[in-house]
Amino acid sequence: MRELELYFGPQHLGMVGNFSITLKVEGDRILEAAANPGYLHRGFEKLMEYRTWIQNFPMVCRINVVEPDSMEMVYAMAVEKLAQIEVPERAHFVRSIYLELARVGSHLFGLWAYANMLGFDTVAQWAMYHRDLILDLFEELTGGRVYHIYIWPGGVRRDFPPGFKDKIVNTLHSIGACVPDYDSTFFNNRLFYERARSIGQLTQEQAKQWGATGQTLRATGMPYDVRKVEPYAAYDKVDWDVPVREDGDAYSRVWVIRDEMIESVHMIFKLLDVMPEGSVYNRIPNPFKWKIPKGQAYVRCESSRGELGLYMVSNGGDKPYRVHFRTPSYPNGLIILEKLLKNASIADVGNIMISLYVVAPEIDR
Amino acid sequence: MNNSLRRKLEATFKDIRIAIPEDGRITVTAENCSILAILRFLKDAGFEHLALISAVDYIEDNEFELCYILTCYMQGRDFEGKDLHIILKTRISREDPNFQTAIGIYPNAEPYEREIHELFGIKFEEHPRLTPLLLERKYEIPPFRKDFDTRKYVNDLFDNIPPVEIEEK
Repeated sequence: MRELELYFGPQHLGMVGNFSITLKVEGDRILEAAANPGYLHRGFEKLMEYRTWIQNFPMVCRINVVEPDSMEMVYAMAVEKLAQIEVPERAHFVRSIYLELARVGSHLFGLWAYANMLGFDTVAQWAMYHRDLILDLFEELTGGRVYHIYIWPGGVRRDFPPGFKDKIVNTLHSIGACVPDYDSTFFNNRLFYERARSIGQLTQEQAKQWGATGQTLRATGMPYDVRKVEPYAAYDKVDWDVPVREDGDAYSRVWVIRDEMIESVHMIFKLLDVMPEGSVYNRIPNPFKWKIPKGQAYVRCESSRGELGLYMVSNGGDKPYRVHFRTPSYPNGLIILEKLLKNASIADVGNIMISLYVVAPEIDR
Repeated sequence: MNNSLRRKLEATFKDIRIAIPEDGRITVTAENCSILAILRFLKDAGFEHLALISAVDYIEDNEFELCYILTCYMQGRDFEGKDLHIILKTRISREDPNFQTAIGIYPNAEPYEREIHELFGIKFEEHPRLTPLLLERKYEIPPFRKDFDTRKYVNDLFDNIPPVEIEEK
């Protein structure tokens, strides 16, 4: 049969975000795939070299559109490390709760994308609605729905408003009450099983070799989570589990995402119970005159997609000298996707890509 | 683990400097020629995860610094302490920025090296695919170098776009 070159994306129904793949196909078999990022390259890392430490905050959160919060966290962590700023105890808890809420929101968004792609429109709408409830919480807490700029070097911008704790609990309960519905319509649905089982399967050895983190790795049986391996914020203050599956296919990855959401909700309840009182913010020097000592730092946190790292160099000035983000979608979208698409069928491209949880703005930066 | 690793590294490689700060991010500075050997050694020592390859342009020293960040995936199912990072650094000349590729040791080095090639103009020998990754067009000076003038670039690019003329009917 004749070989064809097929352009998949950036304008394609099965594609989430501005990302494209060039496929070489024979019939509906893919012989070769080449990921083609860059549609969202905004040069953030370069722009950040021209802005002061604080001016960079509105920029970092825009690197990952779906989950801006862990971006803020990792940038604040790097600044704190370079400038040696302490964070109050309560702020650690507030940060953890905030990040876990963001994780649930981001996973719901991912579930929307995945369910939508498979044709489970009802589930997709539910997920979108429930994400919106979490965005309402963010709106009350920070004033913004999607981009919050809430985490700040030295703590967070403001404490929980009165009655906010109850609102978190109520919202999470009302989302949690729908888990049986989600399970019966989607996760335990035969159609989902048939459609996702053995799709985009990779072994643990391959995952390690190709630099996978997050769900992609945990779905192959390794409980690797930066929150456990190198705890930051308040993740070592409460007990929680790392959900793991063994098969390494799309089905396992989506199940890991589901289990992680539930684990996050439990973690938020536990954190709320033991949260200490106190201030949430340590004063930082005047941002207009703030110079950070010479040095370099690599910090990392677990975003909803895997290990999110930041390598930052300061040359003693009022701006960063070099910023480089290690985003989890980078190996997922540029290596693993290409490898997994080989010999797959065209109908599975969206399935593999979305189950790998690739977010294009994170790759392009 | 820290000290035994340090002793082993210093015994195997002569021209390296090792710094262990309190936070456990071990920094190893080495000469160009021994980088691949050190990477191979560290991979065998359990640092299986190449988290990032980054480059920094130190224009005053007329050098680039390449920086490999390595971590361990956990061994088995138990979690080790905090000493999980190695930052391996080397300097290369800015005049003739060439380096060897690490793909043979860490297959996931491919896109990182591609990106550095595109943004800094550092050429990785024997890299199978140094094609453009993120950028739209070619630049005279690779854009992430410090001597790339962003303001001049914006002026050159956008001032030359002819204004839209509206026909009056």
